[in-house]
Amino acid sequence: MKAATLVGLALLLPVAGAMSLLVGGTPLSAAQIGEELFHPHRSGVINTIVWQLRLPRVCIAAAVGASLALAGAMLQGMLRNPLADPYLTGVSAAAAAAVAIAVLAGATVSALPVIGFVAGLAAALLVAALARRGSGIDPNRLILAGVSLSTLFAAIVALAVVRAESIGYAGTILAWLAGSMAGRGWHDLAVVSPYAGLGALLAFASAPSLNALRVGDLRARAVGLDVERAQWVILAASSLLAASSVVLAGLVGFVGLIVPHVARRLVGSDARILLPACIVIGAALCMFADAICRRIVAPAELPIGVLLAFIGVPAFLYLYLRPAVANRGG
Amino acid sequence: MIDLCDVLLRVGERPLLTGVDARIDTGEFVALLGPNGAGKTTLLRAIAGLHRVGTGTILLGGGALTQLSPLERARRVAFVTGDELLLDALSVRDVVAIGRFPHHRWWEWQTRGSDTIAVTRALEAVGMEGFAERLFSTLSSGEQQRVWIALGLAQQTPILLLDEPTSHLDVRISHEILALLRALSRSGKTVVCALHDLNEAAAYADRIGLLGNGTLLALGEPDALLAGPLLEGVYGITMESIRLSDGRIRVFARPACEATDDPAEPTERRNPAPNA
Repeated sequence: MKAATLVGLALLLPVAGAMSLLVGGTPLSAAQIGEELFHPHRSGVINTIVWQLRLPRVCIAAAVGASLALAGAMLQGMLRNPLADPYLTGVSAAAAAAVAIAVLAGATVSALPVIGFVAGLAAALLVAALARRGSGIDPNRLILAGVSLSTLFAAIVALAVVRAESIGYAGTILAWLAGSMAGRGWHDLAVVSPYAGLGALLAFASAPSLNALRVGDLRARAVGLDVERAQWVILAASSLLAASSVVLAGLVGFVGLIVPHVARRLVGSDARILLPACIVIGAALCMFADAICRRIVAPAELPIGVLLAFIGVPAFLYLYLRPAVANRGG
Repeated sequence: MIDLCDVLLRVGERPLLTGVDARIDTGEFVALLGPNGAGKTTLLRAIAGLHRVGTGTILLGGGALTQLSPLERARRVAFVTGDELLLDALSVRDVVAIGRFPHHRWWEWQTRGSDTIAVTRALEAVGMEGFAERLFSTLSSGEQQRVWIALGLAQQTPILLLDEPTSHLDVRISHEILALLRALSRSGKTVVCALHDLNEAAAYADRIGLLGNGTLLALGEPDALLAGPLLEGVYGITMESIRLSDGRIRVFARPACEATDDPAEPTERRNPAPNA
């Protein structure tokens, strides 16, 4: 039943991908796009639009959604806290602070993703070091360290925005903070693929551990899980995935927090099914959202984070707060 | 078989238990008794490999506990506790299936036929087979306790450790669970559990381990331990004991007000005539 639901969800991917490919400044028919998809090396404007603008954009949206949802599901499982999201470890706040400082220092726009990636991973390491207890990680300390450092980084961003306003760079910082995939291409995807791939691999390797952790740390230990090692693997995987998504789209909220809840609602909490479901739902959601962002105020673009908040949150609240179906399996 | 050789256990820097020596044989049902803070839970966790042993050695089936990997250890000893809450919406079968974790390597995701059989048998053993698809959170305390025991049974270990399996349970459920543990020990499983009720321990356990004053004070037959003076010293309260028609001893804590009113009486009451 759960596997069937997962297969059904997977059908969303081609639908979302096709819809996203059809949306753009230049009206293109499905036939035109289909024709170009089968001829990647053909020259011409339409081919360039499909292969250099829309397709990478669709892939990036899918990668961002999948990464954030996967990272969120892992952190929520490890911390046994439904409020945990991929940015809990300070990845986003540190990336934002680093980008803001870099903008003030005159860094080029193309350098910002890499700066954000490095700063995000550095923050995750710092938070993990602060949360360390014995050979493992104390979940409460992790949350406190993550929230504290994020607050500090947010203050740095605010300071930088005030300073940047006077020299006319505030827009660059704010655009990055709002989250957008505009201007990203195959190169950005190629840069983060190894890291996101490693994160995804570690995530799937952690599925049995996440399942054992559902009955609590002590019982997980009792059934033979090396809880400390599992915590480090999960933290590394979620940090790599979150930092990768920061590189590709800046700060995209909502997905990492909410998608795991929706997936759990649909397929239960067995990580063997939950993680693939998060990938599918997260990817489809971001592809749909990105398509709408490009369409709704064309030729301008709406930041994806804004759209997700306006549409996604009410939809999620309806889904999550309605009375639970009696006796559903976990 | 469990061997404890001069074991010292600390909580933080403070020694909690010192010089613990004991041997628990295969198929034995041992109840650990002692006041709050005596170290029952810590000792159980140490045997389960969940609490670091300060000095001394713990052997499981002749092999040193410290030489076992977490998975090997979890294939030899199961630890059942009701301490931690369950947050996810899990079915009873999902919970019990987690007991199969030590029988899989990390890349072995597939549920095997042997897993399904082990989970089903564990549920049958605790009488919960009819609840397999129910949400765990919808069960009563007694039913939940049975599910935790089933999780331990699904591990298919020769040793089963339980931390206060009858706390928060009514009399009937408590006795059903203790009868189940006794039946498991009779089927060859070594069962050690921490209990608070002296008479439950006396009624079901083969031997009682009495913890107090920072060590294992005694490990012996229930009647010998309960009838002796050791209990009063350990719990710091006056005890009365009676012998039932079947010869077994039952003990009762005497209310503090009565004990103060008549300090001479407890000695007389502690050794009543047989079949009183």
